[in-house]
Amino acid sequence: MTMSRQGVQPNEVIDRSTKLRFRWNGKRFSGFEGDTIASALAASGEQIFSRSMKYHRPRGILTADYWDPNLMVQVGDDPNVRAGHRLLEGGMDVRSQNAWPSLNRDIKAANRFLGRFLTAGFYYKTFMRPQWLWPTYERVLATFAPGGKIDLDTPHAYHDKRYTHPDVVVAGAGPAGIEAALAASSAGASVLLVEHEHAVGGHLRYSSDAADQADLAELRAALEASDIEVLTNSTMTGRYEDNWLGIVQRNHPVAVERLIKARAKTLVVAPGLIERPYVFEGNDRPGVITSGAARRLVNLWGIKPGERAVVFSANAEGDAAAADLERVGTEIAAVIDGRAGGRISSTTGSSRAVEAVMVAGPNGAQRIEADVLVVAAGWTAPTSLLNMAGDRPVYDPAAARFFPSDPPSIVLATGGLAGDGDLDGLRRHGADTGRLAASRAAAVRHRLQARTARAAPVNGDEPAWAPDERPPLGRDPHPELYRADTHGMVDMSEDISSKDLVAAAHEGYDSVELAKRYTTATMGPSQGKLETVNTVAAIAEARGETISEVGTTVWRPPFAPITLGALAGRMFEPVRVSSIHPWHEANNVSVIQAGQWLRPDHYGDPQAEVRNVRRNVGLIDVTPLGKLDLRGPDVPKLLSLLYVNKWMKLGIGRVRYGMMCAEDGVVLDDGVTGRLGEDHYMMSTTSSGAGGVWEWVENWLQTERPDWQVHVTPVTTAYASINVAGPKSRELMSRVCEGVGLDAEAFPYMTVRDATVAGVTGCFMWRIGFTGELSFELHVPAGHGLHVWEALMEAGSDLGVGPFGLEGQRIMRLEKGHFIVGQDTDGLTLGPSTGMGSLIKLDKDDFAGKPELAWAADRSLPMVVAIQPDDPDVVPEEAAQIVRGDTNEILGRITSSRHSPTLNRSICLGQVEPDLAAGGTKLTVLLESGERISATVIDHHAHFDPAGERLRG
Amino acid sequence: MAGLVSGLRKRPPKYSAAALAWKGLRGQSWPRVWRDCDLKRSYDAVVIGGGVHGLATAYYLARNHGMTDVAVLDKAYLGSGGSGRNTAIVRSNYLTPEGVAFYDRSVHLYEQMAVELNINVMFSQRGHLTLAHSDASLRTMHWRAEVNKLGGVNSSVIGPDEIKKECPSLDTSDHPRYPIQGALYHPPGGVVRHDAVVWGYARAADHMGVETHQKTEVTDIVCEGGDGPDGKGAGGRVTGVRTNRGDISTPIVINCTAGWASLISTMAGVRLPITTHPLQAAVTEPVKMFLPTVVVSGSLHVYVSQTDRGELVFGASVDPYANYSVRGSLEFTEGLAGHVLELMPGVSRMRILRQWSGLCDMTPDYSPVMGFTPVDGFLVDVGWGTYGFKAAPVSGEQMAEAAATGRTPKLIEAFALSRFEGGELVGEKGAASVGH
Repeated sequence: MTMSRQGVQPNEVIDRSTKLRFRWNGKRFSGFEGDTIASALAASGEQIFSRSMKYHRPRGILTADYWDPNLMVQVGDDPNVRAGHRLLEGGMDVRSQNAWPSLNRDIKAANRFLGRFLTAGFYYKTFMRPQWLWPTYERVLATFAPGGKIDLDTPHAYHDKRYTHPDVVVAGAGPAGIEAALAASSAGASVLLVEHEHAVGGHLRYSSDAADQADLAELRAALEASDIEVLTNSTMTGRYEDNWLGIVQRNHPVAVERLIKARAKTLVVAPGLIERPYVFEGNDRPGVITSGAARRLVNLWGIKPGERAVVFSANAEGDAAAADLERVGTEIAAVIDGRAGGRISSTTGSSRAVEAVMVAGPNGAQRIEADVLVVAAGWTAPTSLLNMAGDRPVYDPAAARFFPSDPPSIVLATGGLAGDGDLDGLRRHGADTGRLAASRAAAVRHRLQARTARAAPVNGDEPAWAPDERPPLGRDPHPELYRADTHGMVDMSEDISSKDLVAAAHEGYDSVELAKRYTTATMGPSQGKLETVNTVAAIAEARGETISEVGTTVWRPPFAPITLGALAGRMFEPVRVSSIHPWHEANNVSVIQAGQWLRPDHYGDPQAEVRNVRRNVGLIDVTPLGKLDLRGPDVPKLLSLLYVNKWMKLGIGRVRYGMMCAEDGVVLDDGVTGRLGEDHYMMSTTSSGAGGVWEWVENWLQTERPDWQVHVTPVTTAYASINVAGPKSRELMSRVCEGVGLDAEAFPYMTVRDATVAGVTGCFMWRIGFTGELSFELHVPAGHGLHVWEALMEAGSDLGVGPFGLEGQRIMRLEKGHFIVGQDTDGLTLGPSTGMGSLIKLDKDDFAGKPELAWAADRSLPMVVAIQPDDPDVVPEEAAQIVRGDTNEILGRITSSRHSPTLNRSICLGQVEPDLAAGGTKLTVLLESGERISATVIDHHAHFDPAGERLRG
Repeated sequence: MAGLVSGLRKRPPKYSAAALAWKGLRGQSWPRVWRDCDLKRSYDAVVIGGGVHGLATAYYLARNHGMTDVAVLDKAYLGSGGSGRNTAIVRSNYLTPEGVAFYDRSVHLYEQMAVELNINVMFSQRGHLTLAHSDASLRTMHWRAEVNKLGGVNSSVIGPDEIKKECPSLDTSDHPRYPIQGALYHPPGGVVRHDAVVWGYARAADHMGVETHQKTEVTDIVCEGGDGPDGKGAGGRVTGVRTNRGDISTPIVINCTAGWASLISTMAGVRLPITTHPLQAAVTEPVKMFLPTVVVSGSLHVYVSQTDRGELVFGASVDPYANYSVRGSLEFTEGLAGHVLELMPGVSRMRILRQWSGLCDMTPDYSPVMGFTPVDGFLVDVGWGTYGFKAAPVSGEQMAEAAATGRTPKLIEAFALSRFEGGELVGEKGAASVGH
């Protein structure tokens, strides 16, 4: 079969005045504007477009549209492009996939001689011995992976997303879909019409009938005159709960692809029908095409599919295809009428072209020479979107296809999916459907508005829910044509034949789901659009059952494959920095990534930073500390519920440390909470826990205690937070603070005060000390953070003030023995294991984790302890295991370790088995190098200043 | 006809290259992999759930303990639940010594499986990378590596350069928003053809006499002597099950279901601390091989591997809400795509072909519930969360031992239901939440 471009066709979509040059496997080709890649190649006489997956058989055009399994090509760095759908562009570099060394001479085509051994699932039955050879077998098998190549250097180009909330969304702009959109729009609904093809019109586009063309022109004009939003070359990929729709727009002027997320009040599903291939020997030989392919080739692109054709027709589309062929000068050798019992049984010819068609007759098969066989054997109803709405389609043997059964009332099917009719009938049903969709959308809209809190009440009663009184479409009788008297390919993209399916069923894989998994039929790129029903039919035949009895597989999203790029969109990943960050950057900071935050880790020498804090005074930017503003009379109850300790009697101006446990008693977070006023508290959380604790608080309030009067506002970024630490911190603070006494009596340890700092009002500060030094933690309105920081730096220059980063803070907190949730504790660490067991007040009525902690109170648990290696110069890794002597028995692990500049030795925190927790216990620590060192548990968590004299000062 | 077939068991033909060639040459077909039997009125034991856990349990009951009068019941088809919906990752680099020992045994059984079951389950030990994008996760990787090493498991922390060597497709530069700082590398980890594991156990169990019954839904569990209604509940014992195909009497019922484990157990009057969450997954169109290892990123909530067919298979963590629906969501695919592109920007043009979800039974400590219950003869192998597939062989082996001997094997002592009564949680919470 050689296809060729013919004279101008009345409805062609190509612009013959605009020639586009492109490359196909390195050679120069040309086509016209409006061609698809496949039509341009076909018009240039190309017959082979790909090689099949397993046997590497040459494959030509089958359906000439998006679903054509044989037209997958590589375009530049874009793999698996549907050449039957993608429009040709000048300069395209198109290559065939799955062929080596070339499409014409493919070494793996030798597999066809092995066909009888490579039955479905053969790989489960071999390559088991010798076991050591399996990795080699696997590598060879993997070379059979089909598809194109990805280029790892492909950038993630500009993609976008859009949200929209139309009343009615219509999927499919064939005549019924367009009428539905027009009727819904006339009824006052806002309408979005989505069409997978490059233009509206559905099957009318490739009809040569003048009346059809007049109808199409009328529909197009009506659409243009309406305010309906029409998206072509866009696919509805999924329908999710409550008509949440995913739509990929591929023709956006700027974005490569745009994912439109639409919440439709009602959805009209009008995808039309997909033509089903017929199964017979040689049905995948280039030259065998569907009637739709023939019609598209002739009418859209002016291509003559071959010189001499046999047409196997079981419906009007097949008859029309024969007429189309005749018009462009293809000789019709025979029309075999499937309705009258005519049957074809095979094609013969080379692996690359049909030479003759064998037609079954009463006197045996008759050979008819032809270079093209057009097959019109029936339809597959693409019920995918209905499946996603929960509908299970029902098979009708009289019409030889599946029909919708009972979709939800906000999802309405029309067009060929819903039934058959002449064009007027389809248009009428479409219009009826559009009106019903608009009416129900109005009711849904009213209900949604009435449910939403708003200033003005919604007028009127909810419109009545319109009953479905659409006169149903008829169902044309159609012969059940699935397989001829010979076996052939069922799944072209996976190279699965009807023989494979029958064999699988006989082996016991006899339900659709099992057969599908065993043979991989329907699992390839066309996802069953072409092959599902034939698969079901093959299983039914093998089991001696009907198609209804066997049932069908569930079509899952997406309707058509969707790129990761479109789904990812613009990839919005914010970076958070404090308002003081410019100062850090100007001062030699080394930053560390902490969740979304970039934080100062150190400014060159963390050990020196520590020494300066211990000797003079230092500043650290702790803005990421979680801060929740809590207001209301029931805040103490909330605090008592979520912290393990008591909170009912916290005085105004007081601050208290609290530990939170999850319901399993595992430590969740810790921090201080201060009482700023009568009904006003400020909760601080760990930096990494800021988001989680907020959700935790809201979850308890909203689901368990909605009656409590507590208002929660996360204010983490509303304040810049600065910890001023060191023996000279009070002196420094006194130089910048107004209106607040700073001495130990006026502002003692664990209290909170409002203050004006460096002229900035609305600050608050608390006296706490994670570093173990006298310190003031300042929280200033975020916009003034940089100013206050600079003011502190300037005011303290003679005091030796300097910045310190997270690393310095970590060293100091370790010297002080303060644990970090998530580092010194883990997903199994119960509250008492932290050594803070006395904080847990089991006499409280209730709190999160109480039952588990009550049980834990009677058990001996692993404990967090402070550990010092006996060799002060060895710093064990954080993760080094504590083991029993020379054995591999694990008794604990080092959770934090550093060299302490203050003590000039290595110091650690670790978790150990309960019987090793006492001070003085000797431990064996296994370093990552494999070396075992000795270490000693010390009496307190604090390696330094265990009495806490410095921080209370 | 089905009745005739049962009882007539010839030694089934072995799978091998030679047999494949012989049958291919002679055009012979293969016999059924498992029989289609009538449901009998009684069995020595009934396993509920024809997934990989139930079938492995039945297989080991027959193989290790000579119990062959066993029926495996499934309300749909074999492997229709989590067994056919998971992402088929197998590994043993867990966080606790108990977890390491347990899964190490499982990996060992997977390594032997193709030969033992005489079906190629395509266990591809291609290496498993768990990426760390932060100091904190790197610290956890080191911890896991140390515990793994002590348990004799091949596992170590590697840096970006070595990661690039093992898996060139990953972006190990400092361009991503959360650059890769290191990874826990576990060479024996990999993927296996999950359906083949299901079929292999079913076929091997069938050959020893175990019956598999598909489309057979258990509607009730019959008990006597318990403290609840109808003799169910603590102190009672199991006497049989009711199904849509008739009643069966049996002294042993093993609940190997997922997604419905708590509902099935309630039929015996046993309450389980389980909530059911969907876990979503997706697969792309095939492209030529480019991703040599399994890649997991806990912080980005994604794991990905490339099948021998060239598809990328993705999974994530469970949905944050309890639900019995197995429909996928759009948001899942959006989040997934963003995270995958963070790891490998070059796959932007790959297309998602199919998304689905499975049901995960979550327990409070992210560890399973295995062994005996307060109802005599009613055993459970449930609560497998997101990590049941990789544990199937060892679970089957241990559950079979429990059912056959009446004693809890040491390897699963920690997973007893009774732990929830005293707060003795075991927990792989730190390692298993997204750790595939």
